[in-house]
Amino acid sequence: MLVLGRKKGEKIIIGNDIEIEVLSIDGDQVKLGISAPRLIDVHRHEVYEAIQRENNEAAQFKNIDQLFLK
Amino acid sequence: MKIDTNYFGEIEIDEQEILEFKQGLPGFLDEKQFILLNFDEAAAFQVLQSIKTKALAFIVVTPFDFVSDYQVTLDDVTLEQLEITTEEEVLILNLVTLKGTLKESTSNLQAPVVINTSNRYAKQIILHTTVYPTKASIFENEDARGAK
Repeated sequence: MLVLGRKKGEKIIIGNDIEIEVLSIDGDQVKLGISAPRLIDVHRHEVYEAIQRENNEAAQFKNIDQLFLK
Repeated sequence: MKIDTNYFGEIEIDEQEILEFKQGLPGFLDEKQFILLNFDEAAAFQVLQSIKTKALAFIVVTPFDFVSDYQVTLDDVTLEQLEITTEEEVLILNLVTLKGTLKESTSNLQAPVVINTSNRYAKQIILHTTVYPTKASIFENEDARGAK
């Protein structure tokens, strides 16, 4: 993993068009500003992971008879 | 064309009805084409079947039938990606995670599937609001059977 030290107000650039700026640092909380092309989705990692997990669970083959039982 | 399906065996589908998920779905990034199939017996539920993978089929539901105040706000990025121009062409569906009984089953309200019914572009979006859980118990009051 590449590790870069950044101070408040400094940025990194990923590829040609994704910029991440350190907006503020307060204790263990860092606020990041992200500028990315409009068609790139940005999410908190844990939220995206939760959706992945839920999708995997939803994809498991289950007995669907329950949908039809009276 | 003919496809193999998880719940209906081999069936004939109209290629015009194939939904294009250009980005795949979280956890299934290589799955870019699905089709919506209907159960005869349980109208509230449908199947989102992968075209290329027989075993990949999600049960989906129209959320508003169960959560009357459910709200999905589409951001500009989604509108642009799916080329949505009017509200009328939008179809919202939510994946269902089946458990032993329907009452125990949940639906993922945080990540609805948005479909542009005009051009068949589709995407599973992740709402930035935290009011809707990934495991929402929306069938607690249902006596099984999704008859609506």
